[in-house]
Amino acid sequence: MLGGYIHDLEAGDVFEPIEYVLSPFMCSEYAHGVEENGEWFHSPQTPAGRQLRPPTMVHADKMRLLEKNCLKEPRLGGAKSPHARIHFEYHACQHSPAYVGERLVVSGRIAARYVKRERTYIDYEMEVRTSDGRLVTTYTDKTLLKYERDREAGND
Amino acid sequence: MTDLRTSGALAVGSEIAEPVRVMTMERIKWYEAGMRAAATGLLTLPHSNIHTDEEYAKSQGLLAPIADGMVSTNWISSMLVKHFGIDYLERGELRTKFIKPIFLGAVVSVRGRVSAVARGESGGLLYTLEVWCEDEKGVKLTVGDARVAMAPRA
Repeated sequence: MLGGYIHDLEAGDVFEPIEYVLSPFMCSEYAHGVEENGEWFHSPQTPAGRQLRPPTMVHADKMRLLEKNCLKEPRLGGAKSPHARIHFEYHACQHSPAYVGERLVVSGRIAARYVKRERTYIDYEMEVRTSDGRLVTTYTDKTLLKYERDREAGND
Repeated sequence: MTDLRTSGALAVGSEIAEPVRVMTMERIKWYEAGMRAAATGLLTLPHSNIHTDEEYAKSQGLLAPIADGMVSTNWISSMLVKHFGIDYLERGELRTKFIKPIFLGAVVSVRGRVSAVARGESGGLLYTLEVWCEDEKGVKLTVGDARVAMAPRA
């Protein structure tokens, strides 16, 4: 269910897309935060003469989608879930670079929700395109919704 | 023109690596701040969560704060950027699984090994790699695989 908490998300939920213009600050601060010193992510000193988005920044796009679609849990604003989630799997395919100044459109859905070994997981599917339709990144993500075991949830 | 690529052709079995790093709370908070800057366009201080707050982490059943899995994923990704350059950004794939928590003080090695080299559809080389992060005892913490389709070289 959209509009609630992240743990309310269900298989088949389709996120309302988000759009934003990629700024030099976003790319450089992300790269700095992960000790990525490649100059491409900090300045226009690249083969194309334009600053590039770090490829793993798609994970920040997931946070943008959740912020927009799970209104009761604004995690970027500091909200904490009663039950901590654990990111379990990251899988990104790069199709083209994204450059500073481009408007990006991020869409996604919940592909699955299931219980495995007494724990509930959700699988995300996302894609990032430029506003003129060029595919940048496709992404899937597996997240454990609650770290503590839920004894009543049953086994897989 | 800047080219970050540092290696020539890699054979099956070739290994690549990043400098060894110790997981610190500063590194955990750098990631938190960087991710929030990327997601909001604002510079903010990290919030309390299982990565930054020992009391909250323990209340959730963890032994102690753990690093976000995206920290080790990014260290692996940086290794791919260094070795495969723009080809990784244009036609690269990375999958990571966070099989063990990374606690403060862990000494983390980031490594990769070429598991296959083939000729891709475009005529360039298609590399497949096993990638992972391990601690000082060789215990794997993050595991995964990567593929990079290189552009044909003249």
